[in-house]
Amino acid sequence: MSKHNVSRRQFLNYTLTGVGGFMAAGMLMPMVRFAIDPVLSVDKGGDYVATKQKVSELTTEPTRVDFSFKQVDGWYESEETNTAWVYKMDDGKIIALSPICKHLGCTVAWNTDKSNPNQFFCPCHYGRYTKDGVNVKGTPPVSPLDVYDTKEKDGILYLGQLKPHGEA
Amino acid sequence: MKWTAKDLDMYIQSKEYVDTVLIPLVPISFGGQMKQTGSMNEFLTILSLEIEKQMKGRILLMPTFHYLHDEMDKIERLKGWANEVKENDFKHIFFLTSDFEWKKEEQELENHLVWIPAIPLDSLENDQAREMINQQVLQILDIFTYNWKNEKK
Repeated sequence: MSKHNVSRRQFLNYTLTGVGGFMAAGMLMPMVRFAIDPVLSVDKGGDYVATKQKVSELTTEPTRVDFSFKQVDGWYESEETNTAWVYKMDDGKIIALSPICKHLGCTVAWNTDKSNPNQFFCPCHYGRYTKDGVNVKGTPPVSPLDVYDTKEKDGILYLGQLKPHGEA
Repeated sequence: MKWTAKDLDMYIQSKEYVDTVLIPLVPISFGGQMKQTGSMNEFLTILSLEIEKQMKGRILLMPTFHYLHDEMDKIERLKGWANEVKENDFKHIFFLTSDFEWKKEEQELENHLVWIPAIPLDSLENDQAREMINQQVLQILDIFTYNWKNEKK
């Protein structure tokens, strides 16, 4: 077999198939990449944010814990500060409640209503929640306060995603 | 609630719960007061947003009322705003400002004027500034809760 056996027809066939293959690959590869992209993306939902609160300093009394994170709001990326009310249960489990009232979104505080001690109190429409975040019947809020996922690392409290009460 | 489409939707749905309007008053000047009005603008923007965040469900934060530093009819203009707000069933109107000029006219405004000297935020560290604003917000919130309580009785 000598190398002169490739006919003109064969040569053109091979070349066109090769070039066509490259072009098809060039079109298909990005499509495949786009299609599987959701699978490859890193799950940002599980991110925990460090607070300045030491876990050992938490008590059974709810404490105000501020933490900040970067938030993209429209076009701006800003440093957003959020708050959580954190306390330890008797068995040592840490509870972190969102301070956002489920009624219309005011910020609730612990133990600020003198006539109803040891409850979370919303100053806007006098909504109240018990220590575990459950709304008191007869006050405006219709559902319990949201709860943050919590984690302890190196003695520091980390807060995760906000979840409806009872799911965290 | 802020003056944005989303928040105003919320307002329209729960009108009966929102009875208070907050209007920041900020002067504009190109003369020697220019930088000072800049500080006021910066400070009041942050302060009013923070107040709104804490009391979202009962306070409607209006867009800032701007006026020229030496404007003659600013009081009349502001009264026009206040009348419009009153006609729309708001019980409490609060003005928030760092401009001392308003303090002199307090009687004439017939509404609550909260005057608070501006902190030059540009000369503070981020954390420090945040802490100071937080403290001031907490104190201003007392003014609101006090007025709401007294209205009930």
